[in-house]
Formats: sequence, structure tokens, C-alpha cells
Amino acid sequence: MVRNIVVLGGNSHPAIVESVCNILALPACNRILTKFSSGESRCEIQDSVRGKDVYIIQTGFGGNGSKLNDHFMDLCIMISACKTGSARRVTAVLPLFPYSRQPDLPYKKSGAPLFKGGSENGSKKDYTFESVPATPAPNVPRSAGLINGTDITSRLAKTTLGTTPLPNGTSNGTMSPVRPTNGDGSYFAGNGLGINNNTSTQSIIGSYTTHDYENVSHVGAFQAKPGYKQWVAQAGTLVANLLTCAGADHVITMDLHDPQVQGFFDVPVDNLYGRPLLKRYIQTHIPEYKDAVIISPDAGGAKRATAIADGMGIEFALIHKITDRQNASMMLVGNVSDRVCILIDDLLDTGNTITRAAKLLKKEGATKIYALLTHGVFSGDAISRIKASAIDKLVVTNSVPQNEHKALLGAKLDVLDISPIFAEAIRRVHHGESISVLFNYD
Amino acid sequence: MSAEMANEIKLISGRSHPDLSDKVAKRLGIEVARTISLNYSNQETSFTVGESVRDEDVFIVQSTATGDVNEGLMELLIMISACRTASARRITAVIPNFPYARQDKKDKSRAPISARLVANMLQTAGANHIVTVDLHASQIQGFFSVPVDNLYAEPSFLRYIRENFNAEDCVIVSPDAGGAKRATSIADHLNTAFALIHKERPRPNVVGRMVLVGNVEDKVAILVDDMADTCGTLVKAAAVLKENGAKSVLALVTHGILSGNAIETLNGSVLSALVVTNTVPLGDKVERCPKLRVIDISPTIAEAIRRTHNGESVSYLFTHAPV
Repeated sequence: MVRNIVVLGGNSHPAIVESVCNILALPACNRILTKFSSGESRCEIQDSVRGKDVYIIQTGFGGNGSKLNDHFMDLCIMISACKTGSARRVTAVLPLFPYSRQPDLPYKKSGAPLFKGGSENGSKKDYTFESVPATPAPNVPRSAGLINGTDITSRLAKTTLGTTPLPNGTSNGTMSPVRPTNGDGSYFAGNGLGINNNTSTQSIIGSYTTHDYENVSHVGAFQAKPGYKQWVAQAGTLVANLLTCAGADHVITMDLHDPQVQGFFDVPVDNLYGRPLLKRYIQTHIPEYKDAVIISPDAGGAKRATAIADGMGIEFALIHKITDRQNASMMLVGNVSDRVCILIDDLLDTGNTITRAAKLLKKEGATKIYALLTHGVFSGDAISRIKASAIDKLVVTNSVPQNEHKALLGAKLDVLDISPIFAEAIRRVHHGESISVLFNYD
Repeated sequence: MSAEMANEIKLISGRSHPDLSDKVAKRLGIEVARTISLNYSNQETSFTVGESVRDEDVFIVQSTATGDVNEGLMELLIMISACRTASARRITAVIPNFPYARQDKKDKSRAPISARLVANMLQTAGANHIVTVDLHASQIQGFFSVPVDNLYAEPSFLRYIRENFNAEDCVIVSPDAGGAKRATSIADHLNTAFALIHKERPRPNVVGRMVLVGNVEDKVAILVDDMADTCGTLVKAAAVLKENGAKSVLALVTHGILSGNAIETLNGSVLSALVVTNTVPLGDKVERCPKLRVIDISPTIAEAIRRTHNGESVSYLFTHAPV
């Protein structure tokens, strides 16, 4: 029984809240956390938190009908409510840190069609504040340049690469980005660019994309200004700042995609590792592990994979992605023929990278392929992709709810329980003990 | 400010209310900036910027769609933060309906003051200025340490009443004590009578007993409020007014949130019309509810943006609605 400590759970992962509370032998804090019919979050904390050490568990995962951004706002509101409720210290526990992995630049290997309409003419160019009438005149064409009769659909269709639909016919239904649904349903309302939704039912099979914006057909009619290189906002710092702004005094998370995210915070961040768990799994569940090869599916994860390979004294190989102007291809650095392969990565999102890597390994003669990842988000059509892949066994932790994924993938998926690690971290943080032992226990 | 082209208005639109942004842009005679928001398949929001905002005066128009408040808010925060990292000179968040405006006080133990949290978040993200319409409580302005321009739909309502009714036949009614000030202000401007309905509210989104204070007999009763959510209050108030002999009852409400069964409630009510502004995206509600009328608020917002950008006074808009 740990005293003076309150564990408050969000809606994103009730199972881990329960499990952590069981280990700490205390009941979870009573709270009401729902939504008003207007869509605003409603949060009422029913147990006193005055002077208490509060731990709020909320993972960065949306699914099963809930939304990631809702969970994040709920977390901020709960933190804020505890702070105004005179909690001594509020710690945000995020098994999976939201927005921790944001790709750098929109990567267009096909070279999306540059829209070379005469968009730099007309009102915009001549527009200065001196020339704007005191009372703005209506009926000024909003976007004269865009209405030039070009059928962007045909251009997109031409530049889309492999247009083979997915084998099981799931196409993009779940994978496509959420298009604007209000108003007339078009982001570029009324600009006359009849966007044909048929283009978005094609999925680019020949390219190594994990995110939808890389697929030109999803982005639709969006084009950057000529001469301006479009970029994607990085929300990592923002999320860190928002948590601190809401009142978090401490953050506990696991296997941050970029450890640098810790530097975004002005408050202490404890980044726990799932590595010991994965290591133990390898040692206990893979009989031939001494002769296996640890594989990193991309260069970015090499450090993570080598750490495990070195720790266990087994071989290591790396898959290198080559991107030239026309094609992206994968190259294996190392030898895997007639060996058992263990793919190691931190996050499984759409599963594209890992399934592709598995395919390559099989081609290179691997006998059996394991894939061990800390976070299994399984977004988009990841499940069907994994099912169809050469991966023999997939191992993830329950940093996000895995019940549904387990039900769909069956014996192919093994789930490791991380709640003991978090419970121990919470206990140690509460008592002011060192948690560094959690970083390298084996 | 020597360079002629530098520091223009950049109008950025979120996904929540592109229609309003388009109208504002049209009024200002400019194009909406080329940006796009999407959700990744893992539900994280991505925001792509397709044109330079360096040293520009950025206005980000983002309402919050009913049911998707957090999604819209997160998108807004990401947009603000992106513009700040892209060296915008000033970032103004134009939020016609301020989210969480009703959670503005600690009315019970450990209740979150979410409105203040939202205010802090907007500032953390990098907003230098806020433009909003009819804040539920104007004290929310005090949650900010940056300027907040709280515009009023009142001038637009006054014009609507003058154009559609004979002011002498009307009584302005506030459906609750909290809105009395808003309603009396309209009544004073029109020089009409005023009445008030007192209500008991046992739980949120649930309406209790109602008592009318004032006389509405043989008059057109005009209910005035800042937001219509589930419409329970309005419909009950309308019934009370009808019972007290009102000739007809209509409601003028700034924010038509219209959540839950609001449309069905309205369709089955004695209200002859519900007049809202387009601060909140209404979607197909206009088609589903023949009683719903919409006043376009975009001229007021556009004019506020123009005046803010040019460093002119905005206070004229508190009493006048641009045509």
C-alpha cells in the first residue's frame, strides 16, 4: 500500500490503469470523464487530491471509437483540474507519447504534379494595404488563378505509381486521411477544381510510405506556392509545452521515438525502456536466438537494435533504404541466409516498414522472422498487411490497448505487459528513489 | 515596414469552418493561404504549410465543429505553433466560438477551469492576439495576457429585428438570469419591453422548472442568448412564453452549437424560428431544420481582421455591423 498517492486514469487505456493500480495496491481515483453533447470534454475528479502526488495515465492512442486528440485534451484538462485542486505534484504518465514521431518533410518520390496554373496573377499580386478599399468589396474572385480548367485528377492519375489495389481489397478505406466533412465536404470549397475521389482509392504499393500525406492522391488539390517548399508542422515541442502549460510537473513515458523530445520539456522526463522486456522475450521465447540475427528495418533504428544485439552478443544486420529520383528500394547490409531474423523497432504504425523488411529478409533466405516492437499502434490497414506478410511472430507491448489487435491477429501476436515497469517507476518516483535501475535491468 | 509587399494579411483556414474562412477572405479580397490539415492514420493531426508566412500578419480562422471540439482545438494549436516556428510577425487566432467557454469557473471541487486552460494553451502555442465573438463570459478575456477582441453579434441581431419586425410589437426575453445583460442591451437599443425567465438547472444539459418575469401578452417574444446547445432551455422557455400569451416566439442566438437532438427538439417546438450566426459550422442542419435562419457574421470578422491589421480601432464594430 502506497500512501498519499493518487492514480488517475484517462479513457485511452483502462486496462493498464487497472493493472498499475493492482500492482501498487490502491484503487484508481474516481472521476467522471466523458464528453458533453457539444463535444467538449467533461472532467470531474471525485476524490480529493489536495496535497497528493497525482499520476495521470493516458496513452497517445486513438482507436476503438475514441480519438487521439480527445485523449490528449482530456489529459491536459485532468492535469489542470488536479493542479487547481491543490495537488502537490502532477505527473503525466504517457506509455506512448503522442506526436513523438512526425516525419520531416513530405516525401514525394513520384514528384507530385506541380500545379503551374497562373495563380500569381490578378488581385493577389496587386494587393497591398494601401490599395484595399476601406470597405472591402464583395464579389472579388477569391482565387482567380486556380480556375483555369486544368483537370488535376488526370494529372494525379498519371503520376501515381503502382495502382494495384491491396490483395484483400481493403484498399484505403481505413487508411485515408480524414477529409473535411463539414460544409460542402471540400477543403478547397468552390475553387472549381473538381477533385475526383476515385484517385484516393488507389494505394501506392511500389513506394515506401508510412503516412498518407506522402500519397499525392490523398492530398488532393493542395499545392504549395510556386517556389516555396512545403513543410509539415512538427507538433512534438508543442505537445511538450502544452503538457507543461497544463501543469504537469513530471512526465513518464517509454521508448520515445526521438530521445531528444526529452529536451523539449522544462520539467523532468523519465524515458523508460521497453528493451529489457524485448530482450527477455528473445531469451525465453526464441530457442535458437544465439544464432539469430538482430535486424534494424531502417538506419534510424540502428542504435536501438545494436544495443540489444550487443547486450546479447548476437549478430546484427541493417536494412538500408535507397531513395533515388524514381524508385525507393531496400538493401540488406549483412547476411541472413538460413538464419532466424529478429526485427527490432520502436513503433509499428501502418506496418509498412516492418512488413517490407520482412519480405526482403525472406527473399534473402531467412528461415523465420520475428518482429519485436515497443509500441504497436496498428493504424490504417496494418492488421491486414501484417497478416499477409512474411512475419512469423510479432511481439509488442501493451503501451496501447492490444485486445482488439490480438483478437484480429491471433497467435501471430504476442503482447508483453509493461504495467509492472510503470508501476515500479511510479512507486520509485513517488518515494524519491532512483529509477535508473529500471533502465538496464535484465 | 518599408518593404511594400511585406506584412500582409495571411488568412489561414482550419478544417472546421472553411465556409466562414472563404467568406472572410472574399470580404478582404484575398486568398486563403495554401495550407492543408490532414489526420495521419494514427489520428495525429498534420499541418502542411505551402506558402511563406515569414514576417506576415497571420490570422488563423478556426471554429470548432459540434462534437469535434478537441480535434479543432488541437488543429488550431498546431497551426499557431507552425506559424510561430515559421517566423510570422504576429499570429491572431480568430475563434468565432471559443471552446470550453462554459467551463470558466471552479463551480465545484476539483472542477477544471478548462476555459483558462484553453487560454493558456493558445498562448503557449504562440498566439499574439485573439479575436472571438460573444464570449460566454467576458471575464474569459482576463484569462489571457494577450489582447482579446470580443466582437458582438448584437449589431447584426438589431438589424435583423429592425428589418423583420416592428420593434413596438416585440418583447426581448432572456431565457436565464445570466443573459439578462445581453438581452436588456438589445431591448434598450430597440426601445422595447424586456422580460426574463428564471430557471433551475439541476444538472448540465438538463433543464428544470421555469418562471416568467414580465409581460409578453400579444407580443412577438424574442429570446436572446449567446448559445443554443441542446436547445432544451430555449424550447422550454418558448413554451412558457406561449403559455403566457405571446403571439409568436423566436430565438436569436449567436452560437448555434445544436448538439444532440437539438434539431428534432426544435422541429417539434413552438418556436417559429431560431436565428443563429454562422460562427459554428452548421453542416446539413439548415436543411434538416426549416426553422433555422442564419445571419452571416463574416463581414464583422473580416472588418475586425482588416482593422486589427491596419492598427485601426475595432470598437466601432461593437455597435455597428458592416453591411
